[in-house]
Amino acid sequence: MAASSPTARPDAEGMRLSAPRKGRGKAPRRSRRDAIAGRVFTLPVLLVTIAFVAYPIVYGIGLSFFETNLVNRWEFVGLDNYAKLTRDASFLDSIATTFAFAALVVAGNLIIGTIFAMLLNRGLRFTTFFRVVLILPWLFPEVVVALLWKWMYNPIYGLFNSELQSAGITDQPIAWLDDPNLALFAVAVACIWKGYPLVMVLVLAGLQTIPNELYEAASLDRAGWWGKFRFVTLPALRPVLLAVMVLETAWWFKHFTIVWLLTSGGPAGATNVVSIDIYTRAFKNFQWGDAAATAVVVLVITLLLSGIYQKVLNRDED
Amino acid sequence: MKTRKPAAATVATYAVLVISSLGVLVPVGWMLSTALKSGEELFSQDAHWIPLNPTFAAFTRVFTDYPFATYFGNSLLVVGASTVIAIAFASFAGYGISRFQFKGRGTLMGFLLLTQLFPSIMLLIPYFKLFQGFGLIDTQAALIIAYVSFQLPLCTWMMVGYFRSIPTELDQASEVDGAGRLRTFWQIVLPLATPGVAATAIYAFITGWNEYLFALVLTSSEDKKTVPVGIGQLIGQYRIEWNDLMAASLYALVPLTLIFVFLQRRIISGMTAGAVK
Repeated sequence: MAASSPTARPDAEGMRLSAPRKGRGKAPRRSRRDAIAGRVFTLPVLLVTIAFVAYPIVYGIGLSFFETNLVNRWEFVGLDNYAKLTRDASFLDSIATTFAFAALVVAGNLIIGTIFAMLLNRGLRFTTFFRVVLILPWLFPEVVVALLWKWMYNPIYGLFNSELQSAGITDQPIAWLDDPNLALFAVAVACIWKGYPLVMVLVLAGLQTIPNELYEAASLDRAGWWGKFRFVTLPALRPVLLAVMVLETAWWFKHFTIVWLLTSGGPAGATNVVSIDIYTRAFKNFQWGDAAATAVVVLVITLLLSGIYQKVLNRDED
Repeated sequence: MKTRKPAAATVATYAVLVISSLGVLVPVGWMLSTALKSGEELFSQDAHWIPLNPTFAAFTRVFTDYPFATYFGNSLLVVGASTVIAIAFASFAGYGISRFQFKGRGTLMGFLLLTQLFPSIMLLIPYFKLFQGFGLIDTQAALIIAYVSFQLPLCTWMMVGYFRSIPTELDQASEVDGAGRLRTFWQIVLPLATPGVAATAIYAFITGWNEYLFALVLTSSEDKKTVPVGIGQLIGQYRIEWNDLMAASLYALVPLTLIFVFLQRRIISGMTAGAVK
């Protein structure tokens, strides 16, 4: 902020002098001044983005070509770190786990979020109340969500087991987070609980931009509930759903906090998503080069996935 | 049209909405019930909803037995400062992008959106190294810088959306009156965008208030930790005091929930303005 105001002022003063005096015929100069003003106003964002997003990413990519302790040992190893990853079973497992995890959470969020949005969009009474309640988990810090679910999943004193046992559905407590077959689903459920409200809000906003005339026209064509959904709602929601899918996939593919606090990647690596893999490599084992290479692989995967989405969803349109 | 909707569909809608709301309210109620229980009641085999001897002791213990007052102070400082900076920068950029034609405008917007695809964990190692180089590890300045760079991309998008919705005729009128661009921004356009600024600020605040991973890595001493890190580290302990934990969690989410319940229309329209238009 401080950096931009002194530079903006001379330009502003210049405008004040010249604008009232000459009426017309100064379009080129005006547009040049506009360009300068636009650049000046966007300068702080540009600087922060370059210094604290673009540069660190370039640095991280560079790091992936080194064997280093980040202090005094910098050995250029080319693509060795990547080559090592292709032979590293724990890395390959964690990528597979991340795909499964992200697919579960994104699908859950999209389905639940879209259903809730459509129900809320019917304009029934008490909608505001339901909307506020259903959005609440979005506000909860991920740490709080993780703790709350860890407590409810607690095998001995947790809510789920005590309710299931007192209802007579199970007689043995279920080890939700300690059973390798259950843990990923249990973690995904907690993440969906946290994640669906954002999808709901965005889809709801998308639904509200659909003109009612389209539904009336569909009614005249004797379209049923499914017909309206298939031929009016879905096409109109396509841009919103595309944006949501791209962002959601990127967010959950790199998700760390809830999984880390619920299971720390266990049991036996069943929930070892790639963010936890990177965190462990870097901050537990101090293999900075390997960790950076893993992060680059994640970046490439998220970029590829968003590219694929755009191809698929845009092709549907034709 | 609404009156013609079949009653069965309405009943089904209400049924789904009520059951899903319970899916949110039951865990929250369980959190409250846990926080009100005493230690020994907590570790009894049959869990009941209404505490036998409800006590607020956990809510005071959070501040007497744990340094949560410090954590809260740190969170407020770090998130407050980063939100103010992010909003200031985002408003400038929103005004610049919505009002002036210049080359690279679209590229900048595209790049800001692209940053959302970058795994934040990828920034973590470079940040750690860079902040180490500047002696900023374990300082609040490091967290403020990190949070500004997280908040900025989406805040800028939201502010651009808001400024676009304000007609440019007002700018032109102000210019004819002899005001410079900075004054037009400050006295005409920004006041009109106040609802948008508020919504964006709340969004930025929530983003920062909830952040965990970077605070975990970039701070280490007790007097620098934020609320999420403070709560998160209690879970690693040998014997987890669930009532204290749930009380601390409730403290962490009550401010946000209150803000949200009162301002929800504004926040939701703010969040979606950039996404849909």
